[in-house]
Amino acid sequence: MLEWMVWTAPTALVFAGLALLLAGMAVWARISPPVARRGFLRIETDRGDRLYIGLVSAAVVLAGWIAVSDLSMWLALALAVVVVLVIGRWG
Amino acid sequence: MSGRDGRRLPWARTVFWLYGATLLLPVLWMFGMSIRPNQDILGSFSLIPQRVTFDNYVTFFTNPVWYSSYLNSIVYTSMNAVMSLVVALPAAYAFSRFRFAGDRHLFFWLLTNRMAPPAVFLLPFFQIYQSVGLFDTHLGVAIAHMLFNVPLAVWILEGFMSGIPREIDETAAIDGYSLPRFFVRIFLPMIRSAIGVTLFFCFMFSWVELLIARTITSVNAKPIAATMTRTVSAAGVDWGLLAAAGVLTIVPGAIVIWFVRNYIARGFSLGRV
Amino acid sequence: MSEKRPPEVKRRDNRAWWLVLPVVLSVAFTAVIPLMTVVNYSVQDVFSPNDRIFVGLEWFRDVTRDPEVRAAFGRTLLFSAQVLLVEIPLGVAIAATMPRHGRVAVPAALVVVALPLLIPWNVVGTIWQIFARPDIGLGGWAVNRVPGVNFNYTLDATDAWITVLVMDVWHWTPLVALLAYAGLRSIPDPYFQAAQIDGASAWATFRHVQLPRLRGVLTIAILLRFMDSFMIYTEPFVVTGGGPGNATSFLSILLSKIAVGQFDLGPAGAFSLLYFLVVQIACYVFFTVLTRSGR
Repeated sequence: MLEWMVWTAPTALVFAGLALLLAGMAVWARISPPVARRGFLRIETDRGDRLYIGLVSAAVVLAGWIAVSDLSMWLALALAVVVVLVIGRWG
Repeated sequence: MSGRDGRRLPWARTVFWLYGATLLLPVLWMFGMSIRPNQDILGSFSLIPQRVTFDNYVTFFTNPVWYSSYLNSIVYTSMNAVMSLVVALPAAYAFSRFRFAGDRHLFFWLLTNRMAPPAVFLLPFFQIYQSVGLFDTHLGVAIAHMLFNVPLAVWILEGFMSGIPREIDETAAIDGYSLPRFFVRIFLPMIRSAIGVTLFFCFMFSWVELLIARTITSVNAKPIAATMTRTVSAAGVDWGLLAAAGVLTIVPGAIVIWFVRNYIARGFSLGRV
Repeated sequence: MSEKRPPEVKRRDNRAWWLVLPVVLSVAFTAVIPLMTVVNYSVQDVFSPNDRIFVGLEWFRDVTRDPEVRAAFGRTLLFSAQVLLVEIPLGVAIAATMPRHGRVAVPAALVVVALPLLIPWNVVGTIWQIFARPDIGLGGWAVNRVPGVNFNYTLDATDAWITVLVMDVWHWTPLVALLAYAGLRSIPDPYFQAAQIDGASAWATFRHVQLPRLRGVLTIAILLRFMDSFMIYTEPFVVTGGGPGNATSFLSILLSKIAVGQFDLGPAGAFSLLYFLVVQIACYVFFTVLTRSGR
């Protein structure tokens, strides 16, 4: 029934991670409701917004890296994680 | 009232109707093509048809390839419009009346689906509809088009519903109406025009879509749009028949446009104007 | 329920999720499952569900470095830029000339302007395919009456580009005009009376009273036109099929060629995801502007 979705272990892990992240954010919102504030992005964001912006920025970093550089993708991944953290903390 | 005319730039009327004529010209030209015999189309260039014939329309309505794909399009767009509306009504009500966890993010996610290029989803669509047995069925196309029509319907309906004061809901609740009963008896009649507009836009956007509909159909649910892109035969393009089909596909929109003329801007701006 | 509160504040109630559930499920079926599948395709070389090889990020490397994809990306951006440059000013100008009074003139004008928007996109293509042909089309024929011009969109790359651009202007400027018209109509009368007392000319009134008030609707118009022109497919597909050569092969056209024409699942998947990423970003800007402009 679902063979045509051609799952692989790495992509399954990515989606499981995303699902966990969403669930985690939902639980966190239950424990302490998100507060909107303004950081260096200059727009009012709560932590869900910043997570989204961070993830999209990370994807841009990865795509840009693979387009121009032959260096290891692990470096790109490290940079992407830094981007997510920076935007999440100060964005 | 002379002062009110002062708002308008000079020559406005003339300029506008000239523009209107320019807009209509290509459509009229296609209509002109559709009522000429094919020899006249390719034989000599003339502004006015030399001979008028309705053969192309007769061909359209007697050749099953043409009229059945026209019917296919009508069937799946109608199904899609109704399904999108039914699904979107409660959601739009929720968005317009309540705040709930993740509401803004959900709204955004819906928007991204409205904006996503259909080309992105082509491959898996083909696979998914084949595997669940909906390939080449009207229901399949109707469900596929919900991808962009449900978000659209939610946006338009939410815009209209937010214009209705919340006190009405509360009064009804005090009068002992349950939410479902209030929704059907009081609220739906109040947003009649919104429902009409939403149906119209869902119908329209499903009617104009080609890429997805073409990908997940082959024969039984093949849309008119796909038939039109496959008119090239060994003898070349049958321009007259193509033009006639084009004219006929404009007809549904042209008929209902009158009823929604005041809401067109709102529909095309996703309910934001 | 009994507490007093300002009418603008919506009630917090997570049970509202039950009302949204049908939408989430129906859209998820057609959006999330396919998107997951696209992600899976993008990291494999798929011959069949049982015969496939994991290739990591190879397709992404190939696609981002493919000169054809880069060229199509550049073309699409250029096209979107030209569309905005022409349609926004033209749309505002038309809105300014649209009749504002009259029981016949106003509805007639609205219907005429809206007509192109309601024509199926492939028929828009057909209309221009016929209209712009030098042998049987009025437009192509008229242009070729100009001495020294030899217009033929099926043979000449520039002519094909111009045809697609003119077609898009014809098709979508009405949208900008309608939005701008809706914006103009919402300007209260006192603004005009003040301008009149000051003795402002029609142009000055437009420039200093009307144009500033159009910012909101114009933002919507710009973003919508950007998104739609960035994913344009049907109209150029019908008129030029992406040709001649690659002259009008935009991202969507190239993508559907790889996906459906060649059935290269891996590269098409990677391509789709990158395309989707760009759209996500544009979409977020759109959403942010829309929902925050009021505050």
